[in-house]
Amino acid sequence: MTHEELEEAVPLYAAGALERPERQALETHLLSGCVSCHTALKEYQAVAAVLPFGLQSTPPPRTLKAKIMAARTAPVMEDAATEQQASRPSLEPGEWMNHLFPPESSTSIWSLRWGLGIAALGLLVAGASLAWNSYTAMTDSTAKLQALQTASQEQAAKLASIQQQIREREQTIDRLKAETDQQRTEAMALKEQLIQRDAELEDLRLQLVTRSSPPQAAHAPEAELAALLHQSTAVRTISLNGSEKAKGAAGFLLYDARTHKLWLYSINLPTCPKGMHYQIWAMQEKPVSMGSFHNHGGETAHRFITHHPNLSTVKRFTISLEPSGERSAPTGPIYLTSQS
Amino acid sequence: MDTPSQQAASTIDPALLARVVKGDVQAFSQLYDQSSTLLYSLALRMLGNKEDAAELLQDVYLEVWRKVSRYDIGRGTPLAWLVTLTRSRAVDRLRARSSRGPQSMGAPLDGDSHVPDRGPNPFEAQADQEVHTLVMGALAALPPAQQEALELAYYEGLSHVEIAAKLNQPLGTVKTRIKLGMTKLRESLRHCWDQGEHL
Repeated sequence: MTHEELEEAVPLYAAGALERPERQALETHLLSGCVSCHTALKEYQAVAAVLPFGLQSTPPPRTLKAKIMAARTAPVMEDAATEQQASRPSLEPGEWMNHLFPPESSTSIWSLRWGLGIAALGLLVAGASLAWNSYTAMTDSTAKLQALQTASQEQAAKLASIQQQIREREQTIDRLKAETDQQRTEAMALKEQLIQRDAELEDLRLQLVTRSSPPQAAHAPEAELAALLHQSTAVRTISLNGSEKAKGAAGFLLYDARTHKLWLYSINLPTCPKGMHYQIWAMQEKPVSMGSFHNHGGETAHRFITHHPNLSTVKRFTISLEPSGERSAPTGPIYLTSQS
Repeated sequence: MDTPSQQAASTIDPALLARVVKGDVQAFSQLYDQSSTLLYSLALRMLGNKEDAAELLQDVYLEVWRKVSRYDIGRGTPLAWLVTLTRSRAVDRLRARSSRGPQSMGAPLDGDSHVPDRGPNPFEAQADQEVHTLVMGALAALPPAQQEALELAYYEGLSHVEIAAKLNQPLGTVKTRIKLGMTKLRESLRHCWDQGEHL
């Protein structure tokens, strides 16, 4: 039933006009806590409660009160039997109000035979009640024990979960610690390399100072620098001499064996004509281009050569003037060349 | 000390039931004095003879004495609880009676046996008389068809299905009559419990 249907059934419920299934459905709805239906029911129940005021007033027999007051203290044999009866009338109006009072079944028409039977049934039920109480007490204890076990299991599960979280965090800390150690080691290595480079530079600087005084006027600057670099065992110097096209030009290649890096320094090369550039060659079985550069004027030029073959296989190095665009072999005039 | 003539059924104080819960015999006696005329009138109307009505009333009051602690004020006033209990037990008897057949009917209302000990009279308490007047007026204002449907449900203990069969009317018509009747009564009597303390 929808809420609207249930709400419409409230006045019929208060008047006692619902069938049992409808009544039970509404009572279930009321017990679910529907405030609007509960409020409506209280109002209709109040209407039903005052309807008897519309009757002709008739006082009860005078002796009835005395009988009730006397019967009040009499032992009640039928209570247990009455409450245990499962069979109820098909219609019990006002169950919402009457829910605490299971209906009796025609107590007024009990015969003596039925009375005795019910009394016996009462004794039987009393015995059963005693047994039931014992059983329920045991059941309660069992239920409490089960509840405690369940609570204990839940706590154990929570503890295991917390322990797992702690293990995961410990693993994370270990991993971070290892990463930190590795970074520290790398930093130390870099620092050592830096110290070594500083020492080499300092050594070179001292040699330069030593060579610079007294001045040696007979040597060209490039020759002095090449001679200076020759002092370093880690750097190989390859001198380049000017050809007939550039008699005043010179140059050298610096090769660092530790880093495998190659630099070109040139001096007094003529300015490149428009559309032309200098191309560097490693002469092996076949010429290998190591790149090109422009010289736009100035006495010196230098270039870092990123691609070069194994220097042990190179017979000599040359620099030629070529039209723009890569060539696979020298086609223009040679300006600088090394000794074989 | 209060006398029965001063105690209105329409003003039963929940505190009185609280005293009965504690085994206060005087409170139980006062509860009887305040409510017995109304409940007996209801039982007599439903069962049709005074012996059954008296027997029913005795059962109801003994049940109240034994189980008053189960009364829940959140579900209604003391009067609503007593009326509902009385009506419910009367319906039980009507059902039991109908299952045994018409031969088991008690003494009818007509005749000498129906004459009450003190004779029919208006409700004695002023408050009850006022409620009586209001309810009579509200009922009289209902269309006869709605009155009939309500009386069959409330006093005869019939369901809407049984009423529809008895009146040979569609089920929806009967349900509408009861619903409209109850709704009109609620509107007519609203100020009755708006002003009253315990109704």
